[in-house]
Amino acid sequence: MRIRKFALLGVAMWLGAAISPAQEGHPLVGAWHGTWGATEKDRNDITVVMMWDGKEITGMINPGLDAGKLQKASLNPGGWTVHFETDMKDRSGAMVHITAEGKLENLTNVRRSIVGTWTQGSVKGDFTIKRDN
Amino acid sequence: MNKSRSVIAGGWCVVAVAAVALGLVLASSSSAQETPGPQAKGKGKKGKAKGPSMPAPRNKDGRVTLGPGPGQNGFWGGGGSITGRGGASLPTNLMPADVPLQPWARALWQVRQKEGQKDDPHARCLPPGGPRQFQTPNGFEFIEEQDRKRITIIFGGGPRSWRFIYLDGRRLPPNDEDRIPTYFGYSSGHWDGDVLTVESEGYNEKFWFVRGGLPHTDALHLTERFSRPDYDTLRYEVTVNDPKAYTKPWDGGFTVPWTYTNWDGMPGGEMHEYLCQDNERDWERLR
Repeated sequence: MRIRKFALLGVAMWLGAAISPAQEGHPLVGAWHGTWGATEKDRNDITVVMMWDGKEITGMINPGLDAGKLQKASLNPGGWTVHFETDMKDRSGAMVHITAEGKLENLTNVRRSIVGTWTQGSVKGDFTIKRDN
Repeated sequence: MNKSRSVIAGGWCVVAVAAVALGLVLASSSSAQETPGPQAKGKGKKGKAKGPSMPAPRNKDGRVTLGPGPGQNGFWGGGGSITGRGGASLPTNLMPADVPLQPWARALWQVRQKEGQKDDPHARCLPPGGPRQFQTPNGFEFIEEQDRKRITIIFGGGPRSWRFIYLDGRRLPPNDEDRIPTYFGYSSGHWDGDVLTVESEGYNEKFWFVRGGLPHTDALHLTERFSRPDYDTLRYEVTVNDPKAYTKPWDGGFTVPWTYTNWDGMPGGEMHEYLCQDNERDWERLR
């Protein structure tokens, strides 16, 4: 179990290092940090790492021990809308399904953002994540 | 530097900054564009040759060289675009609308055009890799080091950077975690007669590889072909292969004129000292 945790941590660190140089290529590639929550006061930190292999967007949410692998990740360049889903543990340890629908803002800037709605189980809120420089 | 030359240099700083600002507004790869070549400063002098060109210089082995002939000075400066036709751009180039971009890359390129390329990293003094290195003002030189089996290209523009092309037959570094993506990538080349063919990859995504903002990714692989049909002309052709940004490989190219004078039109044929200052916001007071 400990070995598995270290392996996951290593993968997460490698992913972070591997994508860190990206800035001007595919606009979703990189590490993104921000929060989601149902209200302004109830916020939860999130980290999203996304990669592009030429055909698919892959990656994970909250790299580390309780990471969730990105599913159905897509970018619609028509309106620069972003969609991704994942299954991951919530604070209680229960598995929960997450769906995020957002829009890229400040697209051509290195510090671009994704802003939209975040549905985690039965809780619906908003999210904002900003791309790391 | 005496006072008059300081004035000239200062004036040219203003012109250069103004040109960059204007370029950011107007630059678009929707038509062939040329980087401004050396211009005279009030005396009507031009850096380009007049009349028929001399034959390209050759080394002791009889192969064309890309530098000045024996006892000569000069450098290259003022390339065109790898898309669009006319001017210094090759007549065989694709028109921008025909470049085989993936949907996301086309949409991003269109946004960059619409925004006047305001976020061009080159305008923030980041190094220009790929064909962009031959499209920047202030010129470039090839230094052929036969003993070391490499060519060094030094660039007078941007952040005054350089690039190595190894001619010792080495393979490009494998695409693994040990290869650090760079602005100029890793280049290995060879001579096919009088044509220098160079394979390059390992680029980072921190720059625009051509003027105009066509996107690229870390999968970019360039095959460049340099030739010199006459003394005054460098012919640059490139095959762009980036399966993460384009649906198929595509070709483009342009010519670059030889410059006999200094950049300001004065005799000499040498690149001047130019420093691109990152995040500079008060250029009017730089004197």
